[in-house]
Amino acid sequence: MAIPLVPKLLRAHLAELAAEDQRHDGRGRFAGRDVELELDCLPRAEGSARVRMGDTIVFAGVKFQIMTPYPDRPNQGGLMCSAEVRPVAGRNWEPGPPSPESIELGRVVDRGIRESGCINTEDLCLIPGEKAWQVILDLFAVSDDGNLFDAFALAGIAALKSATVPGERFGVGEDRPLGVAKTPVMCSYHKVGGRFVYDADKREELGGDERIHITLGDDDHVHSLQKGLKGIFTAAEFAEIMDEARSRCAELRDLIDEKLEGE
Amino acid sequence: MKGGSVARPDNMSGDKGADGPRGSRQAPLLVAPGDDLGDSGELEAGHGVLAINGRLRALKQGRMSNRGGTVSIEPRRTAYVPRPSDLVIGYIEGCTSNIWFVDIGAPFNAILPMSLGPSKAEFGGIRKVLDIGDAILCRVQEVEENHSSVVTMKGMGLRAIRAGSVEDIDPHLLGRLIGRGGNNLRQLKEDTECRVVAGDNGRVWLDGDLSGIIDARDRLNALLTEAKVEEYRGDA
Amino acid sequence: MGGYGDVQCIDENGIRLDGRTKDEVRPVHIETGVVPVADGSARMTWGLNDVIAAVYGPMEAHPRKIQRQDRAVLDVRYNMAPFSTTDRIRPGFNRRSREISKVTAEALESVVLTELYPRSKIRVEIEIICAEAGTRCAGITAASVALAHAGIPMTDMVVSVASGKVHDIVVCDLNKEEDNYGEADLPMGILPNSGEIVFLQMDGDLSPDQFQEAWDYNMEAANVIHAEMVRALKGGDE
Repeated sequence: MAIPLVPKLLRAHLAELAAEDQRHDGRGRFAGRDVELELDCLPRAEGSARVRMGDTIVFAGVKFQIMTPYPDRPNQGGLMCSAEVRPVAGRNWEPGPPSPESIELGRVVDRGIRESGCINTEDLCLIPGEKAWQVILDLFAVSDDGNLFDAFALAGIAALKSATVPGERFGVGEDRPLGVAKTPVMCSYHKVGGRFVYDADKREELGGDERIHITLGDDDHVHSLQKGLKGIFTAAEFAEIMDEARSRCAELRDLIDEKLEGE
Repeated sequence: MKGGSVARPDNMSGDKGADGPRGSRQAPLLVAPGDDLGDSGELEAGHGVLAINGRLRALKQGRMSNRGGTVSIEPRRTAYVPRPSDLVIGYIEGCTSNIWFVDIGAPFNAILPMSLGPSKAEFGGIRKVLDIGDAILCRVQEVEENHSSVVTMKGMGLRAIRAGSVEDIDPHLLGRLIGRGGNNLRQLKEDTECRVVAGDNGRVWLDGDLSGIIDARDRLNALLTEAKVEEYRGDA
Repeated sequence: MGGYGDVQCIDENGIRLDGRTKDEVRPVHIETGVVPVADGSARMTWGLNDVIAAVYGPMEAHPRKIQRQDRAVLDVRYNMAPFSTTDRIRPGFNRRSREISKVTAEALESVVLTELYPRSKIRVEIEIICAEAGTRCAGITAASVALAHAGIPMTDMVVSVASGKVHDIVVCDLNKEEDNYGEADLPMGILPNSGEIVFLQMDGDLSPDQFQEAWDYNMEAANVIHAEMVRALKGGDE
């Protein structure tokens, strides 16, 4: 990713807004942009979702492959999660091998999903030690107007929850739902103008400092955390956004459940 | 299809619009690149229009109009291409010991030589005068054949921008922002009690009270939304 | 081009697997403004094909060695998303994508007035979200609409479509089975207002008469698709 020029004026203006408890687009400090979630939008994927948050748009697609189980876990299948931000998504994203930024995106989303235990990997085993399903979650950004993390995490879990294991196509039994028991959801907070805000857009990311990503499971258990970019934060600041994350994650979880029921 | 039909060879033989864009009083038409706009005849090809073999052809998507015999297209979007004496807002991208490199939002960026800068700097002190990330209000001094351009800060009102906010709009919407005889811009300044400087490169500097800046920005956004809605309607 | 396989792509009444007659184009829909952060964009669905094209620029060309002193460079990238096909595609370098990117750039350079923006670059990103057959054609067509949407001056838009031959019958706009089991594929890039050609490939086996028939199908199909391109540009955003 090309490092964009940060106008000093933008930083000063965002700080000025923060001092008055305002944001440049008129949102409240912990208000998110409108979220659109669409399921089963990719005919060639076994599970898929499209998420739109403001002008940020991403796709998630689930594919299956047959793998040989790892020797140390002969009765388990695998989960792989990869994020790709190609230059289609914005002026500063560049072609070539995955950038550190997009690798971080994929790994943070991966940890949240994996560690929540929402996928029973033993369920994915076909013949112990010989054959198992590998679930591959591909995250793909179409338009980056900030906060790709939350958009990817939301699209990712929604795609997995709507996925069908393609047993027939691979000649290993019937098609069945993947069966994702839990719904880990991510909420990200950026420090903009000296205080944390939820769901920063591109402009706030450009003129802001560090960011914190929190993934919470169904019972408010923490499954992954990540602090990114240069910056320092206090325990009190963290406690405040953790509190906010609990209620926001619950809202997003309801959105996913609502969509899945509508199927 | 919204917006009415386009004069093309296949629909020009009909009874209406048979003379294509020649009837200068007709409503502007929506066109797409490659559309045939009729016989060039006495007509001049304006912005977004090319005369090829005696016929006019659209080069852009937008609204076609015929003003005083010049057929042109008001496009949906235009890239800013600098011209001498344009007033622009730029960001300092980098520097050497006697030159600043300035991003003016054009396909090719500009230089600001020390001699045209706001003040002289000691050797090695160029960043004390203008630092990377600073915004400046400047004028385009010259544009070379190959599009590299030189900007100057010598002139009335040209200065480093240290307060307020800079917003981006498409350059072709500047006319709408400024209004006939500058009326809209004057009104915006009065209503919001802000200083508003519209650069020819589509960057607009808003300076004043925070509430005034927020108000002015809301009005700018409203203008952009309005333009987006009108984009596909024939009525200008 | 392989053998027939055991797939019957067209029945005795001349009806194809997807219910089309041999001279029919798959359903086409185009929408503009689908990548809000880009300068211009378009999404084209064509049968099961789903293609997103985005345009950025003209902008400063980096690295410097790609700059042309007399014109802009069209930096075109064609890519298939990992989930766009039945078997997942591994992201990364791919000779097929490189070739398609190159011929797409050359087709588009034939209509874009690059000489207006010397030393700069116009980025054209083509992403195949879902593939059926003819993704290169859908890519070129969507990219043309995205360029127009970005306000890049061009003398015409390129419409691309592929006809071919299956079971010795020439058919218009090949679908997946016809592409896999057919005997010939003729993708073309056509300027609809003049009937000129800016992109041409072919592989397989066609007699002179069959070649002419496929050529004529492409020319007719181009008009159908062009009408949808124009509708998308004049009809409404999002």
